Amino acid sequence: MSAPLHNVIIGGGSAGYGAAMTLRARDASCRISMITMDSLPFYNRYDLPKVFRGSHDWRKLLAVPPAQYDALDIRLRRASRVVDVNGANRVVTLAHQETIPYDRLLVCTGGRSYLPENLNECAGLIHHFGSFEAAMRAAQALPDGGRVIMIGGDMIGIDLALTLLDTGHHVTLIANEQTFWPHVVAAKQRAALLAALAARGMTVIDANRPVGVVAGKRGKPARCVTLEDGSEITGDVVLSFCGIAPSVEFMLGAGIDIERGILVDPHLHTTDEAIWAAGDVCQIWNDKAKSYNFYHGWGNVRVMGELAARNMSGADEVFDVNVADRIDIDDQGNLRSTFWTH
Amino acid sequence: MAKDSFDPARKSASTDIQIAICGSAGDGTIATGDILKRAAAAMGYNVIAFDLYPPEIRGFGKCISRIRISSVQTYSLKQDSDALVSLNDQHAIAHVGEVRDFGAVIYEDSAVAHLPEGAHISGHIRAAQIPYGFNMRQISEQATNSARSRNIVALGYVAGLFGMPGEIFHKIIAGKFGKKAQSVTDDNLKAFDAGFSAGQATFKLDDVVVGTAAAGTSGADAVMMTGNGAVVRGLLEAGIQSYFGYPITPASSIMERLASDLPRHGGRFLQTEDEIAAAAATVGASYAGSRAATATSGPGLALMTEVIGLGVMAEVPMVIIVSQRGGPSTGLPTKTEQSDLNLCVYGGSGDAQRIVLAPTNVEGCYRCAGMAFEIAEQYQTPVIVLIDLYLSNRYETVIPAKENKFAPKPRVVPQVAAGAEYQRYAFTDSGVSPRALPGDPGLMHTITGLEHSELGRPNGEIHPAMSAKRHDKLASAVNYPGLATCKRFGDSGRVDVGIMGWGSTFGEILEAMQAAQAEGIRCAAMKVVMLSPLPLEPITAFFDDCATVLVPEVNYEGQLAHLVSGAIGRPVVRLNRVTGAPMVVAEILAEIRRLAGVAAPADKQGA
Repeated sequence: MSAPLHNVIIGGGSAGYGAAMTLRARDASCRISMITMDSLPFYNRYDLPKVFRGSHDWRKLLAVPPAQYDALDIRLRRASRVVDVNGANRVVTLAHQETIPYDRLLVCTGGRSYLPENLNECAGLIHHFGSFEAAMRAAQALPDGGRVIMIGGDMIGIDLALTLLDTGHHVTLIANEQTFWPHVVAAKQRAALLAALAARGMTVIDANRPVGVVAGKRGKPARCVTLEDGSEITGDVVLSFCGIAPSVEFMLGAGIDIERGILVDPHLHTTDEAIWAAGDVCQIWNDKAKSYNFYHGWGNVRVMGELAARNMSGADEVFDVNVADRIDIDDQGNLRSTFWTH
Repeated sequence: MAKDSFDPARKSASTDIQIAICGSAGDGTIATGDILKRAAAAMGYNVIAFDLYPPEIRGFGKCISRIRISSVQTYSLKQDSDALVSLNDQHAIAHVGEVRDFGAVIYEDSAVAHLPEGAHISGHIRAAQIPYGFNMRQISEQATNSARSRNIVALGYVAGLFGMPGEIFHKIIAGKFGKKAQSVTDDNLKAFDAGFSAGQATFKLDDVVVGTAAAGTSGADAVMMTGNGAVVRGLLEAGIQSYFGYPITPASSIMERLASDLPRHGGRFLQTEDEIAAAAATVGASYAGSRAATATSGPGLALMTEVIGLGVMAEVPMVIIVSQRGGPSTGLPTKTEQSDLNLCVYGGSGDAQRIVLAPTNVEGCYRCAGMAFEIAEQYQTPVIVLIDLYLSNRYETVIPAKENKFAPKPRVVPQVAAGAEYQRYAFTDSGVSPRALPGDPGLMHTITGLEHSELGRPNGEIHPAMSAKRHDKLASAVNYPGLATCKRFGDSGRVDVGIMGWGSTFGEILEAMQAAQAEGIRCAAMKVVMLSPLPLEPITAFFDDCATVLVPEVNYEGQLAHLVSGAIGRPVVRLNRVTGAPMVVAEILAEIRRLAGVAAPADKQGA
């Protein structure tokens, strides 16, 4: 009897979770290992703004109870970082030098928050929001009614900013070219969207880049952001939402084609026959546009993970955009984005 | 703002957590556990701790230290730990499953060597458990220029993560390494602080909550003691004058401690050539009036039985401490078992009645050892204090009595009427004869292992009367003042299930009984401390109240079950296991439910 195939999924987000569940549904006997840097089982990161509403029980964010992974025999390796994938030998190496052989590999590591280069040296003073722990740290640093300075304002950030307004906080948005990412908006629409945010009570600063962040002086708010015109804004927490950059460094030795993200065909197959990719980490060939494109948003990402899993287990399906890219303002002046559909 | 009931940062009014530390011999596993339990005791918590280590003195065997830290009275270790610290994944992987849902698994996550799939603990952590990997080795090297202190780094991480006060650990560490070079203390303090900072900086995702310490418990007054340590303390307070012994696991630490402490108290210590000599020297010293004791385990006791018979026949008080391990023969030297009850109660030739006391916790070890001399002298017979490896090596917080209750009372020298001959074995109402010591003027007498007359001279004709005397004189021991020879717990009156136990297993029995009560099952438990003679009256009354009596024991045949059912003619339900590990609370609870006809509550996830 041959050993069951080992499906290894790198990434524990929407795509990885959807892929794992799909693989198990299609093959009861295969081995499934999910490797993620996160400490928690899969939860929807779009729900993270809830921590600012007092929802501090991460268990309520989980997609399924933890016991479900055991019941489905899905080996979940958390707090684990992949440092290398050897496509020739079909082996994944983790940071603690454990090697994991695979028969089929799915990469869906998403991306890490992008921080404008000129702010890199201030990174320690800027809160992150990419995980439950990071969200909680930001929430704990923010007093009731406190002031948040948000740099950029991609759609994840805008969602959080609206929650913060609802919960009695003050938000200053320092807009830049990543504001409303991943939507690509024209100048006129951009101005209207910013005006809508201002109408909701947000302080919006545009065309004035942040050049530094320092800790606040004793007795003053905890952070002070300096703008390029020399003016200063103070707040309790500084958050940066400037889109994400695909996490692909560990794949550089895998022997597959990588541009900004991992290049895949419409079947989400890479140039290695045993490797697939899905989610924010991959650029998918669009035959009409004759280019490799990113497709962001929960609806797209989840579909990609499930589709890749079906193709890994014998299907021959092609990715079609699940959720169109659209942002507008409704009659009440509220922003509506397909990115938030989940 | 209203928050969820689960908040990683919350503080609770009570504490009941168990931390397991697992490593290889040489990793400092036991030392780390020792510091943690002493620190917890100093904080004012109740502590129960138990170490398992390989039979080899040094090598690569598995060591595991489990420490239960509680603000309420607890009686045993928990089946599942709240946190596991791995100092060696090869050994710790097998114990990941013992960590409860939403508990913590703490491990080394820096690269040490190339590992095949499955060799790192992170791949074995269940989805409901919280992984905390950090660079123990690197932090140790940065703090002390050596990776040797990574166990102390891990300890600091635990303290920082769970919000324990670092300054108390500082005191314990300084005290532990105080006799070594100052640099050793300094390095360990640096390692602790580095780990502490890492633990504090870690975002806490588990729900392991360290709350307030035990109400009314003063950390300054409480001391950590093992069962063997408590035995030594009891013997010393009782004025032990002579100790004769031969080393054997798990009783050796009694001998080791007395070797250093007894001479300082003016006593005599001798390591004999074997257990037979140890018992013989003990009975000889006791005959001469010295408070004398020996300690051994099952294989040693098997050799001592002939001499114990001499003690019975010659009516010489002597104290034998027996710490059981897995048997028979060499058996399982470092594993616990309760399989020497029969040997202690019945072992030897003839009708050799003796008193056997089986304490159920560390404080009980102190009390039974402390009272053993007085009881032995009162009844002029050998007294066996029967414990086991689990109790010998188990640490508990004990608040020692402020005054010594075991100090020897002045001896009453027999008075003989003028012209009368002193009768060492005179028949009396109590069956206990006036005891003279060699050298008492005018009280010369004969002593022998042969059956003897009142004068001590060989006499076979008197055997029926003397047999009755030696038997009957022990009857009142079941009501010995100040000694709870058996005790009932739980619901009063009629109950569905009674649980009877002895020795170290009784802690698990109490925990199971309380859990069953919480589920609405009417139940009670009885601990039997005096195994010989058996306190039949309260035992019978207990059986009268119970629809069914369950007897959990860490032996194969059910030796207490056999003893009790034989003595009172009532059926019992046996629950036995011989895995080398203590009885499991969940197994007892499951059996209680089965006997009560109650289904287990639906499985609940979470604490």
